[in-house]
Amino acid sequence: MGDSAASTFEFLGLTFNVGNMISISLACVVVLVLVYALSRHLTLKPGKAQNVLEYAVDFTNGIVRSSISGETSRTLGLWGFTLFMFIIIANLQGLFLHIDISGVTYVKSPTSDPVITMTLALMTLTLAQFLGIRKLGYKGHFENYLKPFVFFLPINLFEEFTNFLTLGLRLFGNILSGEMLLGIILGMSHGGAVMWIVSFILELAWTGFSVFIGCIQAYVFVTLSSVYISRKLELED
Amino acid sequence: MFSYSVVGAQLYVGDMLFVMITFLVLMWLIKIVAWKPVTKMMQDRSDKIVNDIDSAKESRTKAAELAQKRQAELDKTRDDASGIINNAKQNGQRQREQIVEDARSEVSNLKSSAEKDIEQQRQEALANSRKDVASLSIEIASKIISKELNEDDQKGLVDSYIEGLGKQK
Repeated sequence: MGDSAASTFEFLGLTFNVGNMISISLACVVVLVLVYALSRHLTLKPGKAQNVLEYAVDFTNGIVRSSISGETSRTLGLWGFTLFMFIIIANLQGLFLHIDISGVTYVKSPTSDPVITMTLALMTLTLAQFLGIRKLGYKGHFENYLKPFVFFLPINLFEEFTNFLTLGLRLFGNILSGEMLLGIILGMSHGGAVMWIVSFILELAWTGFSVFIGCIQAYVFVTLSSVYISRKLELED
Repeated sequence: MFSYSVVGAQLYVGDMLFVMITFLVLMWLIKIVAWKPVTKMMQDRSDKIVNDIDSAKESRTKAAELAQKRQAELDKTRDDASGIINNAKQNGQRQREQIVEDARSEVSNLKSSAEKDIEQQRQEALANSRKDVASLSIEIASKIISKELNEDDQKGLVDSYIEGLGKQK
């Protein structure tokens, strides 16, 4: 939660948050273990695990392909898959595991921290710029900022910034609010047996809803990222 | 110096770096562990399906060709068979006619030869009877004539006749 104290340390002049680092690492390990477990014994006629993995791969490939066309979409398949898996696991992680030690949060959803979601958004938009330059060249890429008129330059630049901001903050806001509400409901349960039962039911319902939101937000993040990238890959009229 | 407030949270530049690096490492590991083999397997499968569809199409056309050939052969065989049957029928008809014709001609031959025989026999019988009648009449005549002979002669004649009769006996 936003108001909880964080355990930080400085290294090479940069500030590191231990809680974030643990959460990110945990999410990555979970994703990796999951993908590793599902990708054993690959056969031409898929088994159960392979089917699940292939469904996920097809799903993310579909997201990427629906907005990006051609050769680029094939190379971006891995990016879309990794992003989707990381975000969905990160979103769900805080719902199942939330470890606070003496007021300091050590394990939570990494995506409930704006720094992390903003970084993901920044990576996406940097990738978009890079792919745009690679596809259209520097001239074609930066001329897109001057279209339809030269006067649109500030508007286009501002749009880039708002894309970055909304992409990151949407994910962060959804996940943070989910976790925050879970915390509040948890706090309610200390008020006696009746409150405990009521809060148990509420907690159950809200956890289910948060799982739903977490999945939707992962999908939305990957979809919007693909759309932003695809817009950088074509010359505007 | 970077740690100013963004939406109530502190900006930890180190975390940003950490997320980027872990994300890239995760992507790289997923690529090695799962992405490459899974993509390859999916590609292999789609290739196989395409191949199977192609070969199925090929074998279907082949089967259709074979069926057509078989049908043609069947038709041809049926034609042949009906030709053979027709031939046989015609042969039979001809043979029957031949036999009947033969029989008829033989019958007519037989009939004509029988008629001839009968005619011949009749002629012969007629000739015989004519001869007989002639000889009889000559005899009678001679007998009548011999009556006008003298008594002796007559007697002699009668005797001789009787003798002759007796001899004939």
